[in-house]
Amino acid sequence: MADEIKVKVENMTKSFGNLLVLDDVSFEVKKGEFLCVVGPTGCGKTTFLNCLTKLYEPTKGQILINDEPVNLKRHNIAYIFQEYSTMPWLTVEQNVAFGLKIKHVDPAIIKKEVDEVLEIVGLTAYKDYYPVELSTSMIQRVVIARAFATKPELLLMDEPYGQLDIDLRFRLEDELLKLWERTGTTVIFITHNIEEAVYLSENILILTNKPTTIKERLKNNLPRPRVVTEPSFINIRTRVTDLIKWW
Amino acid sequence: MNRFKDAANMQKVVAAIISILAFLIFWHVGVKYSSLSKLLPGPIEVLSSFLRSVVVPIGTATIGGHALWSLSRVFVGYAVASILGIILGVTMGWYKSVEAIFRPLFEIIRPIPPIAWIPLAILWFGLGEITKYFLIFLAALSNVTMNAYAGAKSIDPVYVGAAKMLGANDRRIFLSIVLPGSVPHIFAGLQVALSSAWATVVAAEMVRSSEGVGGVIIKGQEINNTVQILVGILAVGIIGFVLAIIMRRLETRLCAWNERGK
Amino acid sequence: MRMEREREIKENVIECKSLSKQFETDRGVADVVKQIDLDVKENEFVVLFGPGQCGKTTLINLMAGLEKPSSGQVNVSGKIVEKPGPDRGVVYQTTALFPWLTVMGNVEYGPKSLGVSKKERRKRSQKYIDLVGLTGFENTFPSKLSGGMRQRVGIARAYCNKPIVLFMDEPFGHLDAQTRYLMQEEIMRIWEQEKRTVIFVTNNIEEALYLADRIIVLNNCPTSIKREYKIDLPRPRDYVSSDFLKLRKEISSVVDKAI
Repeated sequence: MADEIKVKVENMTKSFGNLLVLDDVSFEVKKGEFLCVVGPTGCGKTTFLNCLTKLYEPTKGQILINDEPVNLKRHNIAYIFQEYSTMPWLTVEQNVAFGLKIKHVDPAIIKKEVDEVLEIVGLTAYKDYYPVELSTSMIQRVVIARAFATKPELLLMDEPYGQLDIDLRFRLEDELLKLWERTGTTVIFITHNIEEAVYLSENILILTNKPTTIKERLKNNLPRPRVVTEPSFINIRTRVTDLIKWW
Repeated sequence: MNRFKDAANMQKVVAAIISILAFLIFWHVGVKYSSLSKLLPGPIEVLSSFLRSVVVPIGTATIGGHALWSLSRVFVGYAVASILGIILGVTMGWYKSVEAIFRPLFEIIRPIPPIAWIPLAILWFGLGEITKYFLIFLAALSNVTMNAYAGAKSIDPVYVGAAKMLGANDRRIFLSIVLPGSVPHIFAGLQVALSSAWATVVAAEMVRSSEGVGGVIIKGQEINNTVQILVGILAVGIIGFVLAIIMRRLETRLCAWNERGK
Repeated sequence: MRMEREREIKENVIECKSLSKQFETDRGVADVVKQIDLDVKENEFVVLFGPGQCGKTTLINLMAGLEKPSSGQVNVSGKIVEKPGPDRGVVYQTTALFPWLTVMGNVEYGPKSLGVSKKERRKRSQKYIDLVGLTGFENTFPSKLSGGMRQRVGIARAYCNKPIVLFMDEPFGHLDAQTRYLMQEEIMRIWEQEKRTVIFVTNNIEEALYLADRIIVLNNCPTSIKREYKIDLPRPRDYVSSDFLKLRKEISSVVDKAI
């Protein structure tokens, strides 16, 4: 059902000693939705993500997936962080297949999935290369392809394109959208880059500075493919910028 | 956050205490219930003898006095080696001509342990203090030099470029970029060299000495006093440990700028 | 606040004539920079814009004198550039701040190398530390500063030597998108207060359009000039004004795609 709730965060609060970082954050994400989270530099985005991934235990509140508490063994969650983490001793193809191999999926199916995903990210010709032979953007594509190959139910992404050239960034964002459409994964994408958030998202969650709460939640109905210079795009972008701008 | 750090540190300290206590108990029990007591005195005997030696002299000095003898020898040899080593190492690392001349020599000398030099040193300098200074000097020199060399060689060329663009000439670059930039490596070298020097002084004193912690050990062997041997060994260990801690503290202060975070 | 600035036509501060650089590789000789002809006038803010990593830094190094060209030459103020010198300042993407020196130590490094008296160089350094907004941080070490603050120190340090021309090689590349916007505004503020000739390298089209009097669009490997655009928009510029967006669309379509 299109309206099924995938992720429910209720009253998530996190403090470190006397320092309150996350303050009563609550929101819902629908199944298959692409949610972008933006906030001013220095807001508790990393803490936010670490609570979602259970790296930190929230001081208060809970996180539910499919209406049950987050359980990393039961729920198929994938993460992509800013640090490019391919396994240097595996080829591109082997890296992408890695998640599926762990789950003991049938080798014929693995091959099919991996080939399709490699096609989408444009790395078919490079499948026997090792990460050390690839450029930074190519490595990041391998990481993303690997995550999507396992068809996760939830994908958490933290500034994966932070350091890339702009036009490379656009290309990778388009690939990301194709992968997302193919798998129907629910995506929570965290970024500083407002334009990127407007380009990718169906919904945008805007955070405040510490102690971090949700300032606003914007719906983004722009038709795809989106054009960053179009007035309707600029409208939403300006709205988000005004809500965040600290500089 | 600090609460987590304190808890973790507490755990480490407690674990260390438990491990050492366990060792002591094992030692005590092992000696008591076996026939080892002739070869290996129990921990209580050793520790009480050690504590006594703080006040009552062994031979010509208390254990503190012996420690000072050893340390003073280390100091002379180590200081000379450090100064010479830093200058030589950094210039070797920065100036190709110096490197060409000195590096092959070091590569040959480096693998020779200071102990192998003892006979030659005795022949040259006799059995006196200079021999010991010389051996300690050798032990420390190679470490300091090669680390300083590595430090100078690994200076990021971007810093050199930036300095040039700001108008620095070669001499200024050497003094204001290469030397400070090598400090972390130099310090690592100084730490290793100090351990080497301390180990060597013990060996040097065991050759011929009536004072110094090495002297205590060898005298203990001569008079068949196993307890004295172990007291000497314990002293060597404690002083070595304290030296290492001092060096580490110095490093945190001198290399405070060297945090990761580009 | 819209401000129009008249810029007098002056002599060229920098002239590149057929500037080229080749490197030896195992696959033979590779052209990295090819036939750059470029004239820059006094106090112009010129942006070199192009994708990829291929030759942009080499080009900056050639102009600054950190590398020698294979052919062609660079003149600064009429003199051929043959080696690094304090009349040219560089701001690096990695900041290249000397980690063992404080902010003040870094900023005064240039004048100190040139033999300026302590009193004078302290005064001058303080002026530039204030100009970049870091008053109070004089005795802080770079490792304790944020990325944006470090880059400000880099800018102050380059300015402090009063160079004729400032080269900035993707100085904001490692900053997050929002801090980047802040720094773009800051560099404009600093530059308006103390005009210099600036050659600024970036692969970010918004940044290029926000800052430049002139945008030189570069080809990727080998680096050569594709097209030039004069940007006449009044400052401070608006990232989402229709003129800005029109230029953005046009220049983006012209530039090479990276791999």
